[in-house]
Amino acid sequence: MSNLKTILKPKELFRPSEYFKPTSVEETVKLLDKYGEKGRLIAGGTDLVVDKDPKIETLIDITGLGLDYIKSDSQGLRIGATTTFADILTSPVLDKSPYNILVQSASRMSTPQIRNMATIGGNICYAMPSASGAIPLIVLSAEVKIVGPGGERVVPVESFFTGLGTTVLKKGEMVVEFQIPVPPPETKGIYLKYSRTAIDMAVVGVAVVITLESGGVCKDIKIALASVASTPVRACSAEEAIKGKKIDEAIIEKCAQVAADGINPRSGSIRASQEYKKLIVKVYTARAIQQLTAK
Amino acid sequence: MAVTGVSKKVILRKEPVVKDIKLTINDEEYRVSVAPYETLVDVLRDKLGMLEVKKGCGHGECGACTVLIDGKPVTSCLMLAMQAEGKDITTIRGLAKYGEELHPLQKKFIELGAVQCGYCTPGFILEAKALLDSNPHPSEEEVRMAISGHLCRCTGYQQIVEAIMAVAAESKK
Repeated sequence: MSNLKTILKPKELFRPSEYFKPTSVEETVKLLDKYGEKGRLIAGGTDLVVDKDPKIETLIDITGLGLDYIKSDSQGLRIGATTTFADILTSPVLDKSPYNILVQSASRMSTPQIRNMATIGGNICYAMPSASGAIPLIVLSAEVKIVGPGGERVVPVESFFTGLGTTVLKKGEMVVEFQIPVPPPETKGIYLKYSRTAIDMAVVGVAVVITLESGGVCKDIKIALASVASTPVRACSAEEAIKGKKIDEAIIEKCAQVAADGINPRSGSIRASQEYKKLIVKVYTARAIQQLTAK
Repeated sequence: MAVTGVSKKVILRKEPVVKDIKLTINDEEYRVSVAPYETLVDVLRDKLGMLEVKKGCGHGECGACTVLIDGKPVTSCLMLAMQAEGKDITTIRGLAKYGEELHPLQKKFIELGAVQCGYCTPGFILEAKALLDSNPHPSEEEVRMAISGHLCRCTGYQQIVEAIMAVAAESKK
């Protein structure tokens, strides 16, 4: 039997022929470059093994590279690409606001079993608009460190996604780390997810990080939304509507309305209609800011 | 000769590089040949005959295939067998082998009617064991969060939650 020549059912078409487990990032980049489109990195595998993409011929296991860490220093936070959501959920480094929006999103990410395997790097690289790790990283002004044949580069998470399931990663490149700057004082964050059951992807996700100054004025704010476009998006107009203003009920309502007006979700989603998504965005954006500014 | 639901595409593929790997299951070592695409649940059930690991949905939603990997619950249908090399795997048989006394969780599940058809039960019990190992006295909310990755078609979950809480309460004494 020199070749597998047979008629197979769709799921059975997933037949990668080789499995590597490199011990260094350099080795990984070489393998990725060599195997090109038919080579795929695997960490937790919780999206890859569900999809069972028949195009994959080579698997490259990156859990042996020591990229599972959460480190905090004077420069900020560094989270390794193969850090699992379970590790994020229980990390003592992330227990203060606004870093704890990562913990809040991890607590709503799928099921406990999947959290024990799924990694934040995989979540971001799979580039679904509903990605649990994406909007918290965006509102924390995080950057992605990428290593490839051409060397290293750093890209804001916000600019990492180019479309549904697509990213700026070029051939041979891999994500190694997320870098989050130290937030200014008086900064807090919140992550809210609307979904049907525990395992479901977000029907709508809202992440907000706000910096307040004296008098209850919004000095700075970042709002990001999940599952309302083909990528995670920032609600820039909504941010402008509230920046520099004193926070009260009227301004929160206005900001939430601008956020809802600023999105145009596709009409074919089985999870929710356009109208319902806009409604949830409005309610959750308002709720997020209210909870962050409540006394 | 079109048959709906079956792909008629002929695929030419490279011969898979099959590897002999060592799996540590329930404190015993096994050597098994696996291909890169084989999932842990299929290897445990089909190659090692460990039918106590149940296969429900096959894509990580029902939790029936849950095993412990280094003490942490993982849906084995989403794990490739190659990923399990070098890890400590625990199936439900690891809690009480044939002829041994049942684990307190197993006894309580039977006693309080948390088992009906029994198909989801190994997954639930292993999840509960992992929970109580790290959090010996969870609140009901914490128990419900911990079992959120498991579906039961029979019991309605109430007896399962009560059984886990009862084991936690008894361990206080």
